[in-house]
Formats: sequence, C-alpha cells, structure tokens
Amino acid sequence: MAIDGLIILDPTGRPIIQSSYTTYPAAYPLLHIEALNNALAKAPREGSVDPVIYVGELSCSSACCHVEVGGMRFLATISGDVDPLIAFAFLDAFIEILQDYFGVVSVATLKDNFDIVYQLLEETLDSSGHPLTTSPNLLSDIVLSPSLISKLLASVSPATPGVPSVRQGGSFGSNGASGAFTSPIPWRKAGVRHNHNEILFDVVEEMRGIVGKNGTTLVSNVFGKIESNSKLSGTPDLTLTFTNPNVMTDCAFHPCVRLQKWTRDNALSFVPPEGRFILADYQYRPPQSALVSNVPIPLSLKANMDMGEFGGTFALTLTSRLIKVMENLELKFYLGEDATSAQCTLSSAGSSVGSVGSADGSWSFNSRTKMLQWEILNMRSSGSWILRGSWTSKIKAPRPAHAFQIHFEIPSYSFSSLKVDQLRLSSETYKMYKGVRMRSKGSIEWRW
Amino acid sequence: MSIRAPRKGENYELSVDLNSEYRDKRKDAIKRVIASMTVGKDVSGLFPDVLKNMQTDDLEQKKLVYLYLMNYAKTQPELVILAVNTFVKDSEDPNPLVRALAIRTMGCLRAEKIIDYLCDPLQRALRDDNPYVRKTAALCVAKLYDLKPELVIENGFLDQLRDMISDSNPMVVANTVAALTDIHISATSNQPSDSTSDPAVFSITSAILNKLLIALNECSEWGRVAILNALARYDATDDKESEHICERVVPQFQHVNGSVVLAAMKVIMIHIRNVRRDDLVKQLIRKMAPPLVTLLSSPPEVQWVALRNINLLLQKRSDLLSNEMRVFFCKYNDPLYVKIEKLDIMVRLASDSNVDALLSELKEYSSEVDVDFVRKSIKAIGQTAILIESAAERCVNVLLELINTRVSYVVQEAVVVMKDIFRKYPLTYEGVIPTLCANLEELDEPEAKTSLIWIIGEYADKIDNADELLGIFVDSFIEESYQVQLQTLTAVVKLFLKKPDSSQGVVQRVLNTATKDCDSPDVRDRAYIYWRLLSTDPGAAKAVVLAHRPPISIPRTTVSPALLEELLGEISSLASVYHKPAQTFVGHGRVGADSVQRKGSEISDAQKALQTVAAGQQAENLLDFGDDSAQDGQPSGLAATQILPSTPAAANFLSGTSANPLDDLVSIFGGMETMDTAAGSLSTALSPTVTSQSSPFEGFGGSSAPPSQPAQNAQPQEDLLGLF
Repeated sequence: MAIDGLIILDPTGRPIIQSSYTTYPAAYPLLHIEALNNALAKAPREGSVDPVIYVGELSCSSACCHVEVGGMRFLATISGDVDPLIAFAFLDAFIEILQDYFGVVSVATLKDNFDIVYQLLEETLDSSGHPLTTSPNLLSDIVLSPSLISKLLASVSPATPGVPSVRQGGSFGSNGASGAFTSPIPWRKAGVRHNHNEILFDVVEEMRGIVGKNGTTLVSNVFGKIESNSKLSGTPDLTLTFTNPNVMTDCAFHPCVRLQKWTRDNALSFVPPEGRFILADYQYRPPQSALVSNVPIPLSLKANMDMGEFGGTFALTLTSRLIKVMENLELKFYLGEDATSAQCTLSSAGSSVGSVGSADGSWSFNSRTKMLQWEILNMRSSGSWILRGSWTSKIKAPRPAHAFQIHFEIPSYSFSSLKVDQLRLSSETYKMYKGVRMRSKGSIEWRW
Repeated sequence: MSIRAPRKGENYELSVDLNSEYRDKRKDAIKRVIASMTVGKDVSGLFPDVLKNMQTDDLEQKKLVYLYLMNYAKTQPELVILAVNTFVKDSEDPNPLVRALAIRTMGCLRAEKIIDYLCDPLQRALRDDNPYVRKTAALCVAKLYDLKPELVIENGFLDQLRDMISDSNPMVVANTVAALTDIHISATSNQPSDSTSDPAVFSITSAILNKLLIALNECSEWGRVAILNALARYDATDDKESEHICERVVPQFQHVNGSVVLAAMKVIMIHIRNVRRDDLVKQLIRKMAPPLVTLLSSPPEVQWVALRNINLLLQKRSDLLSNEMRVFFCKYNDPLYVKIEKLDIMVRLASDSNVDALLSELKEYSSEVDVDFVRKSIKAIGQTAILIESAAERCVNVLLELINTRVSYVVQEAVVVMKDIFRKYPLTYEGVIPTLCANLEELDEPEAKTSLIWIIGEYADKIDNADELLGIFVDSFIEESYQVQLQTLTAVVKLFLKKPDSSQGVVQRVLNTATKDCDSPDVRDRAYIYWRLLSTDPGAAKAVVLAHRPPISIPRTTVSPALLEELLGEISSLASVYHKPAQTFVGHGRVGADSVQRKGSEISDAQKALQTVAAGQQAENLLDFGDDSAQDGQPSGLAATQILPSTPAAANFLSGTSANPLDDLVSIFGGMETMDTAAGSLSTALSPTVTSQSSPFEGFGGSSAPPSQPAQNAQPQEDLLGLF
C-alpha cells in the first residue's frame, strides 16, 4: 500500500522497463501507462499535465506520479493513501542512482544495462511498496556497476576466458557481503580504503528572482547547497566550521550531520558517506531585516520593446553589476506561438576593452519552440551587451511573453560570501587533501 | 509442458543456449530471456530450462533467474515447486545477500505451494545475525500476512515483529514498523464489522513510542517516513506527551528529503491539537514555514504537491506564511498547475499590508499569454476585492484597466468578476457601469452576458438607457443560451418594476417570446410565474424579484471545517493533495458506498417533507421560497465561484437568479455532468461543500418534479463522490 511499482517509458510512451507487479493483475501497469499517455496527448502544451494523474478504472483506485528525464517518462504508480511526495522523492533517488551507475540516463543506456536496472529496481523498491535501500553507498555492494564489471573482466587474464570471469562474479558476492549492511553507520560502508584520501566541497548557490517592469526586484531568493565528494578511508569523523555560519538559514542536512552540534556551536560534525552526497541545503537571507530582504541581482537589463502589427522590434541592453566574470549567460524570450522568424544584430559597448566583439555572443531562434535565445559565454564587468532585432508573426497583434528568462553562472563566487574556516579530522590519523570551491548561478525572470 | 516447443525460432535457440555446457553462454541466454520478457514476449515455455540455471554461485545470474521466476510463478505454479529446494538451500547460504534474496523472492512468488515452505526459513531469517537479512525478513512477514494471515499468527511472527521494534539496527526497526503498519491496515480493513475482537495488530504504546522516537533519528529517509506515519496514529496520553512528541519530531524539518518534512509536518499538525503551551505552539508554527518555503525550490512536481499541502495548512493556520507571499509569485515559465496553486495561495495570504504587491502581480499575470491562467488571475482580483474591503476600490481600478485592453476574454472575465464585486458592495461602484455597458458587443460567453444583464437589471433605475440595452438581448432572445434567457427575463422584469412607464413594451415582448417561442421549459415556467405575479399582485412581484440579497463573502476555507480537520491529519498523503477525504477515492469501497447511501436517504427525507409542504402552498407562498432560496443560495453560489468557476451553474447561482430554485438545481447538475468529463484536471477539485449545501435545493426540485427525480438527483452526487 504505497508505491506499487515503477515503469520507465520511452519517448513514444512505450514501456522499456517496469517492476514486476506480482500482486497486481496484468492490466494494472498498462492502465496507468495508458492514463498517462492519454493525459499527455490531451495536454495542449508541456507543463499542463498534473504531475499526479488519478487512475480510477480499477476497483481500488490509484494514481500515477510521473517525471521526465532525458525524453523518457519515469512513472511511479501509487495506491492507497500515500504521500505523492514519497513517490517523487523515490523517483528522484532512483534516477540519481541510475546516473551514478551509467553516467547518462538515456533510452540506450537503460536498454543496454537492463539487467542492472532490474537488479536496482529489486533492491530499491520492495514489492509491498516500501522503498528500501537507496543510498548509493550501500547499493554498490549489492549491485555491481557496469564500469566495475568491465574492470573485473579486464583484470581477468585473456588466456582462459569464460570460467574465471564467472568465478570472479561469484566471489564478488561473498566478498562484498562481508561488508554489506554490517556497517554500524547506515549511510557509510565499512572498511573503505583509499591510497589517496581527499574530500571536496562544492558550495553552489542559486539565485531565483523576479524583476518587475520598472526594474525593481520583486523577489530574489538564494538557495545554497553544499555538495561533497568524499574519498576517505576508515571511519573519518569530520568537523567543518565556517567563519560566518550565520548567513546560512533554514538549513536542511544529510542524515550524517549531528544536529545538536549545529544548533549548539554552528559547526557541521559528521561521518561522511563514501562518494558524492549533498551535505546541506540552506537559504541565504541578507542580514538587514528590512521589509523586503532581497539579495541584489548582479546584472541589469534595459529592454526597449516596440510592438507593431505582425511583429515587433526590440533593443536589449545587458549590463553586469559584478566585478567577477559571469559565464554562460543565456537570455530566453518567447515570441508567441504565431511567431515566424526573428532577425537580430549583436553589439557591445565595453568601457575598457576595445575588442569586446560579437564573438562573445550569439543568438538563435528556434522556430519550433518559438524561443529567441541570446548567449554570452563570457560577460566581464563594466561592459554592456546589446541585442537589437525584430521578429515577425502570423497574427496582427502578436502576443509574446512579457518576461525574459535569464540564466547565468558565476564561478568562484557566492552570494552569501560563506567562508569555510577549517575542516578537522578526528578518529583517523592519515593526512587528507581537502578542497572547497564556490560557484553561483542564477535564473532571473525580467519582466517588461 | 506436455506440448514440446517447436524446434526452431527464438525460443528454441534460447532453450539450446540455456542448456549449453558453457556458463557464460547460459548466463547470456538468461539475459536474453529477461529481455524478451521485458518487451512482452511470452517466454514462459522456457521455464524448466531457466530453472536449471538457478543453482549457481554467480549472484547476478541467480538474481536474473529469480526475476524470471517472480514473473511466471503465477502462471506456472506447479513448476515453481521445483525451485523450492534451491530456495530453502539459499536461505542457509553463508552469504547474507543470498539468504536475503531467497527470503525476498519467496515472499514475492505468491504461490500457495511455496508459502508452506517459507515459514521455517523465515523464522530463521527473523533471527539472523545480519541486519540486512532481518530487515528483508520483516517485510516478508507482511507479504505472508497478505496471502495467509493464519500462518503468520500460528508461527508467532507477529510477536516476533513486535520484539524487533527494539532491534539494535535502526533500518530493521524502520522496516518492522512498515511491516506492522501494513499488517495493521489490512487487518483493520478486512474485518470492519468484527469490531469486538481486537484487530489492533500494531497498537503503539508509550514504550514503543520511545523506541520509535530513538530510531527516528538514525534510519534512512524511507524508514523515517514509516516511523513518522506510525507516530501520527499514536494517541498521546496527555498534553505533556504530545509536547514531547512535537519537540522530538521538529528536527525532522531539517531533513533534505521533502517527504520526510511533510510526514513530520503531519505528525506536528496532529499532536499540536493537544499542546496547551501557547509559546510552544507559536514556536512550532514558526518552525513550519521555512521548510515549506524550501520545498518551493524543488522541481515543479514536488512544488505542486507541496503547494497543495500548503494550501490546506493555510486554511487551518492562516498565520503560517503571512510574511512570505512573495515566494509564491508566479514565474512565466512555471508549469500551469504550479501557477494555479500559487495563485490560490497568494489570495489566501492577502492582507492589508501586501495587497498592493498582490494586485500588481495579478495585473501582470492578466497580460500573459495563457488564457486559463489569465482568467484565474482576474478571478483572483475579484476574490481579493471581496476579502479585503479597503482594497476593493484599487481592485476595481485594476479591473477597469483590464477592460480597457479590449482583449475579448479579459473583458468577459472582468465583467463576471465585477458582478461579484457589485454583489459584495452594492451601490458603491455604479460609476463603473457605463464602461461595462460600452463593452456589450464584445461579450459572447454566456457567463459574461448573464453577469452584465444582472448588473443592468439590478441598477436599471440608475442606467438611463437600460431598456435599450436589455432590448438588444430581448431581440436576440431565441438565439441566446438558456441561462442568458433566464437572466434577461429577470432583468427585464426588474426594469419594469423599477421603471414601469418606459418599459411596458419590452416586458410584454420578452414575456411573449419566452412563453410562446422558447423551447426551454424552465424559461417558460419562469416567464409564466412572472406574468402571473405581475398581473395579479405587482407588490408581491416586487417582493420576489427585488428581494434584498445579503452581500456575499468568500469563505476562508474551500472545504468544510470537519473535513479540514480530517484532511490535516492526512497531510502528506494523496487525500491532502486532492483535498478530499481518503475514503472517497481509496479502496474502502464499502465505507464510500455507505456514506453515499446515507446521504441519499437524508435527502429523500427532506424531499418528502418539502413536497408535502409545497403541495399545499398557493402562489403567494412562493414569496417565502424566493427569500429562503436567495439566502440559501448565498453559500452555494460562493462556493461555486471558487470551485466551479467555469460551469454555467456557477454563473447562474452568482447572477442571483435564485428566485427560481428549480432552474438552479437543474443547472447545478447540468454543470456537474460537465465537471464529470472535466474531472481529469484534478486541480478543480469539487468540494463536498457544494453538494451538501445544494441539498436544500433538491427539496424544491422534488416539489415540482415527478417522483423519479430524487433518484436522478442522487445520481450525480454519487458520481461526484465516486469521482475520486
């Protein structure tokens, strides 16, 4: 009475892989697939299908929760009164596991490794509907990843093919099992050994904001994440301290973090899992408690829009307000479903560097999605970038979007200027390499 | 298996490979068999060949064979028995993974013959040294209970599970709790009549409570959800204990997994009812806001679920996110389902202090491309005007600006919303009327037309050319849809009662057309009633048609208070996402049917009573009905504004045509039928309030309808409940 099963559909809506549904009639998964495909077919456009679709044909009614990944649909069917969020959280975890195992999640990789996907499904979702082990640390002991298999095969001497490889697979089972699930720490496998011990932290902050017509910031929130990659031997007990921990508010932590220590001394004390994991989530709120505490948006856009009949013209000027270089800036503008074409010219007005040329930027118009896209790979400070152009439309009064979507990245920068003070290792004696990297990105809606 | 497979084809080749002397060839063949199985090809004929490969020390191959067995055990139960020996042998394997795998697979096979061999290995597995085996075995007990409950009881597995709550490994505790909960649910739902014997398989005592609270902090996210759900079922002995639970559960808000956060929120919402210390309640509520806001930075699917739950929480604790409205501002590229939920929440959070920001957002949304969203935004402006009196004028100004855009659907929606504002604040915004009337030609939707006609009729004495304007609709009377006809009829009669001298001609014309040329019986009936009233007693006509209508208000909740309490207990469940009690859409068919029947009989009782009353009444007694119905109509009409905004029924209610309840009744159900088909979009959840409040009308329906009417009336209601 929870998650009945999981079905993976290819881009045409046909199932590639599904869990066994042993306790259900054969039509059960089919009904859900059909319900989803019908809903998707009926939807006038993407994003209008509710993420939870109710399926009422059966005597016991159920629903399916679906997400899209790499063109495929991952579908979790739920019955009984369960939280759909569990289904989504499970889908999320499962997709992450697949990424961990195969690198890329695509129809091809899943089809090539279907046996592994099946094993993963069996390990992660019990047939009575309870999610089981989804921690990659523990799974890697039970289900061998394809890269490991090929490594094992490669290490086998080519002289006697076949027989040794099988023995290898068999012996792996008992070896791995000695470590599996005997670890006293549920998220970390026991007996890890590395020649080179290192732990890396990536602090990623994402700004989400809306700027109103008159250029004032309506909302801007910064959500931060500390991603870690740990390759440490034994049972390392780490303490991570910050010089300004107060910039982190509304924190959520990986289960390994000792909450009491955080509440008491604002230090993150934990025994990390092996490999990649997210140590903490937080929100950054600027200290001053003004009525609206917005984080300033690091760029500005001036838009001169001129709407005419059967099209319009525009002149957009982007200026960086930051000393750091912004990268991969991308501005998207939906021209309305009747838009037919667009023509633009790029220019820039750099104050210092004369060679700020069009080479830095490019634009394109996708006639299928009706999206005009402007990209600037490297946006230095104190310069402005200008996109002038016009578009045509089939209808007399075109209705383009009243907002631009701007995405950007800022390497080695954080909005909160969070600083790591030190990382201490106790309970192990080895020296480890530690690294901290800051990265920020933003997605801003700029209205006109 | 008496028929031999043909000696060629894919299956034959597979069969040859499965019997190959080379191990890797056999393993490859198993993979191919599974691949064929996946794409739906029938490979059940290979059962004996696959079975031969079960005894292997290659764990991966074993798993694949087990996978095959699980798939075909149902269709080939007599063959599965051949696998039993291997299973039993595997359950004693030195490798814990193999032991667990054997137990898990045996539990999944669901074949009677296997089950009998399961008990001994399961007994061992429950006491296994390895926690992985124990936790697998715990879940297996629940599966066994599903198939043969008596075996579970005979073998004492239940007691063993109860002991395992004290296991040293938190993962085992979590799975044990999940298994016990499953058993508890199936035990209590299978024998609801047998209430005297104690079906509480898993009653949580104070001792268990403490064990759960300890395990809570140490197990995986899924284990936490299972434990939290068990805590939500616990009846605290006193307020001290409730406080203790809340304090211990609150740290779960800091978990990265959203489902843990929501499950924790559910526990808090349930146990906070018994918390007496005000400071603690305040503190708990304050701590709930940040994790909810954080959920909004998740992918849209998760956002949607979170928003649905937030919507519900706000109905109980409106102070929860009072300073956070900006978080809910819609982005242009948010999916529609997210936008619509955000919009609803924004209106819910509206207050004097943030109404300006809200209005400028709503105005912004009204210029977007998406028609549905634009309409909802304009409706939200109307709701804001009705909720916050001080902002009403600003709302009206925004609406006027929108009307001036002359975009057809914007104008029409704005007219509909203006009518609501007129009903809430009568005689306040008459200055707007000329602007509305100037757009008369633009209107082509019935709802917009009826709204404008209602306004003209209501303010007929203030509009100089009201007779001309209504004349336009009288001229096209026959072509109009029938709710427009009804409204025109009423409006013209209002006009006549207010300005009898200038409108004699038009009222004559409309009554003539309505009684002679109109094919809708409702329109004809109403026209006859008016005609009779006007000709016999104009005073009575005035009392009926110009009856005072109390101003409308929008309830802060979309569901009834009792249901709200029930749903809050279901936070983080399908019920809370659909805003409906679980039994209306979850399997317990009997409960659902019972309650529907009960409702049905209540209705028919009321109907009989009213029928007798109505039978003895003369025409003038319609007066009372008119008044009553107008008052009764208020809540329904309002609920309808929120819930059935796009159906003609709602339009009818709102246009204040309650003078003839029968029409409204019919149109409600007319509207509901359309809802039935539109039910795919779950977000327009039909609230049960609508049904319950509309029941008085059914009485009126019965008074003039043939006896078969009650059955018909009950029908759509059942559909409605059965919808989810």
